[in-house]
Amino acid sequence: MKKTAIIYSFNTKKTAKIAERIKEAFNDDQVEMVNAEDITEEKFLAYDQIIMGVSTWFDGELPNHWDEFVPALEEMDLKGKKIALFGLGDQVGYPENFLDGLGIMAEVLEAQGAELVGFTPVEGYTFERSRARRGDEFLGLAIDYENQGSMNKERVAAWVDQLRKSFN
Amino acid sequence: MAEKKQYSIKHTDKETLARWLKLMLVGRAIDDRAPNYLKQAIGWSYHAPYAGHDGIQLAIGQVFDRENDHLFPYYRDMLTAHSAGITAEELILNGISKDTDVAGGGRHMSNHFAKPEWNIHNTSSCTGNHTQHAAGLARALKKYKFPGVVISSQGESSVSEGYVYEAINGASNERLPVIFVFQDNGYGISVPKADQTANRKVADNFSGFKYLKIYHCNGKDVFDSMNTMAEAKQYVIDHETPVIVQANCIRIHSHSNSDRHELYRDDYELNYVQEYDPLAKFRRLLLRYERFTEEEIEALENEAKEEVKAAHKAAMSAPDPDPDSIHDFVVPEPYISEKYPEGLHQHEGEPKKLIEALNETLKAEFRHNPDTYIWGQDIAYKEKGGIFNVTKGMQQEFGKERVFNAPIAEDYIVGTANGMSRFNDKLRIVVEGAEFADYFWPAMEQLVETSHDYWRTKGQFSPNITIRLASGGYIGGGLYHSQTIEGALTTFPGIRVVYPSYADDAAGLLRTSIRSRGTTLFLEPKALYNAPKTATPIPDDFEVPFGKARIRREGTDLSIITYGNTTPMCVELADQFREEGKAELEVLDLRSLSPLDTEAILRTVKKTGKVLVVHEDKVFGGFGGEVAAWIMEEAFEYLDGPVKRVGSAFTPVGFSRILEKAILPDIKRIESAVSELLKY
Ligand SMILES: Cc1cc2nc3c(=O)[nH]c(=O)nc-3n(C[C@H](O)[C@H](O)[C@H](O)COP(=O)(O)O)c2cc1C
Ligand SMILES: Cc1ncc(C[n+]2csc(CCOP(=O)(O)OP(=O)(O)O)c2C)c(N)n1
Repeated sequence: MKKTAIIYSFNTKKTAKIAERIKEAFNDDQVEMVNAEDITEEKFLAYDQIIMGVSTWFDGELPNHWDEFVPALEEMDLKGKKIALFGLGDQVGYPENFLDGLGIMAEVLEAQGAELVGFTPVEGYTFERSRARRGDEFLGLAIDYENQGSMNKERVAAWVDQLRKSFN
Repeated sequence: MAEKKQYSIKHTDKETLARWLKLMLVGRAIDDRAPNYLKQAIGWSYHAPYAGHDGIQLAIGQVFDRENDHLFPYYRDMLTAHSAGITAEELILNGISKDTDVAGGGRHMSNHFAKPEWNIHNTSSCTGNHTQHAAGLARALKKYKFPGVVISSQGESSVSEGYVYEAINGASNERLPVIFVFQDNGYGISVPKADQTANRKVADNFSGFKYLKIYHCNGKDVFDSMNTMAEAKQYVIDHETPVIVQANCIRIHSHSNSDRHELYRDDYELNYVQEYDPLAKFRRLLLRYERFTEEEIEALENEAKEEVKAAHKAAMSAPDPDPDSIHDFVVPEPYISEKYPEGLHQHEGEPKKLIEALNETLKAEFRHNPDTYIWGQDIAYKEKGGIFNVTKGMQQEFGKERVFNAPIAEDYIVGTANGMSRFNDKLRIVVEGAEFADYFWPAMEQLVETSHDYWRTKGQFSPNITIRLASGGYIGGGLYHSQTIEGALTTFPGIRVVYPSYADDAAGLLRTSIRSRGTTLFLEPKALYNAPKTATPIPDDFEVPFGKARIRREGTDLSIITYGNTTPMCVELADQFREEGKAELEVLDLRSLSPLDTEAILRTVKKTGKVLVVHEDKVFGGFGGEVAAWIMEEAFEYLDGPVKRVGSAFTPVGFSRILEKAILPDIKRIESAVSELLKY
């Protein structure tokens, strides 16, 4: 597999846990962990295959570490990049904005030419609206720690299997 | 979210960014410092910190153009106010209630920032009630084809208030240029927003409204807020419809200095709201995208500190309000009648009924002043002109722009009258406050607010409104078509209450009300609208000044002090007593309850030494108690007997004619009270 990064905020607990699980599921040495808190254009562009951990905050917003990087992303050429997103959200607490952050990020990346991979079915989740939803799929992996934490392990495993096929 | 990105961290010019940062730094320095004033017992005893709302507040102030727009901030809008142009010193003058506070000289609460001179309105503490003023003012902008928009700002929880719904419904229906901003910090004091409404974002409750655009933005982010507010304003102008902007904010601190948020927020939350500080985010962005160096930011921080220090010093040495000034600006000076200083006339001619007097005076005043408006329920549709035909023919003559129906929303009727009159001091607004006085209670909130606008702004704004109310019983109308509510209405300083009985007095008082600045409650005894006994000749230009009672029958043995429906009863009784040679009763028709003609009361007491106060309203808690108490205090030595009262029973007014008769006062009851009192 090509050089692949998992970019997420090292300040998070839950997102970080999932990132670690993903890393484990790939063989540890295949992916690099990159801190979204001090991400730069240069660091980001150094990878052709990227996994991004993007949770949702404040009724449908990106967390600051990503939101503050969006102005940079919006002027990057991401053609040729394969990006997979995983997002944390709470479908019971925030059913109107479930996983919106992942959706916002997906829109930004697509607009810059990135190829998004790793979509997953919406089946198994109950919510009202999600910006991360397109048709019957989420634009990435949906993790709900609060309400479906026990399914994290298998969801991650299945997703990583799927990503292996998309990534090269 | 805004569609266009007019502003961004990478492309907005540096000068603008510096200006924004400076405003944010000054605002925050004062917000952080406000509690110290309280600790040192200097003032600012109400402080609702804005930290966490920085993006949207900066943006509201920045899109506001004081030449054309109007702004209704709420009590958390310190940065909004500063961004709109209110200086650091002015913020502090309000905070510590100084005489030179531009909002109103320390009369209104701290943290209620305003500058009426610049169209930054002095708003009530009653959460969200200024939404109706915003709608009313926008109605004026639209009618006068004035460029500009009205911005109303509030928290998300107060959107639960019914009157906010009324305002937004009205704005949507009338297509009014209003931006309703909801600053959503997730709480109404300690109550999480989930306890207010089912949608997480209350703006979405309004998604079915026609002619209403809803924007959502991140109120913690300067750029998203700026883009959204700029776009929202343009949308209002281009589409001639209102918009809602719901801004996602956080409340970093407690609701106010009287709240302790650690009682209901856990450490996790207390921590993440700190981490999402919008000012820190803006600072990070400026550095990250190399728009500013750390040194440049520090320089601005120092400037801000200096500015606040200087403002503090100046504000501390500003004069305090003068305790002797409390009676200033309670109510504006009324229109002065040159020709009828006592509100009396010798005109002879065809008697006119009370209803004709009202209709003709309204029409005459509408011809006299093109800036007059009237609205209410059922006021004008084709041939109909009000439930009692008081406004008949007005829409035909003055058009739908000036004479129009209102929705069944009494608070909105009064609230928009207040709002519209803010446009210009020349405007004179008449409203039918409710179809019947009985239905005026929903408007009480706006009435109370209106009653203290003039005082609270230290004379900077006077709501110039005449509120007409078809009042009282004797028509078999039951509990909700018989109430006479002056007992409650006269308890408010700042509004006048008049209650004519005869056609000429009604005409004269209505003219004075419409020509005066200030708010007058004009109570109409609807049982007398068509009564021949209160029909009188009326000079075309008749005027009755406020606070001038009228002797309807001269007498020497006993004074009956009365008003409204009971005046003709007392007059009839006086005539009867004279004819029968029983006694000479003097009947004093108060005409005006607030202000009250105490001189006339004193004169009649001195003359007869016996007083019976008669009114339709309940004896207990009725206005007569005030009259009686005044006489006891000021005229006791002239009395030959106790001041007696006749009024209705302390019950609702029953519908059955039998019950109604048993409850409301009549001539017989007045007669027996008179007879008893004459014995002293
Ligand atoms: C204030 C707040 C707002 C949230 N808003 C949303 C939301 O709109 N949609 C959603 O799916 N989850 C929302 N969540 C749930 C978080 O995404 C979830 O707790 C997630 O596990 C956080 O992961 P992190 O701490 O690693 O960022 C919110 C959580 C908080 C505390
Ligand atoms: C009509 C009315 N009811 C209650 C209050 C007491 N009160 C003051 S602030 C407040 C909470 C308002 O919350 P929100 O509208 O969300 O604004 P925030 O203070 O959170 O900015 C309440 C209930 C009031 N001022 N007015």
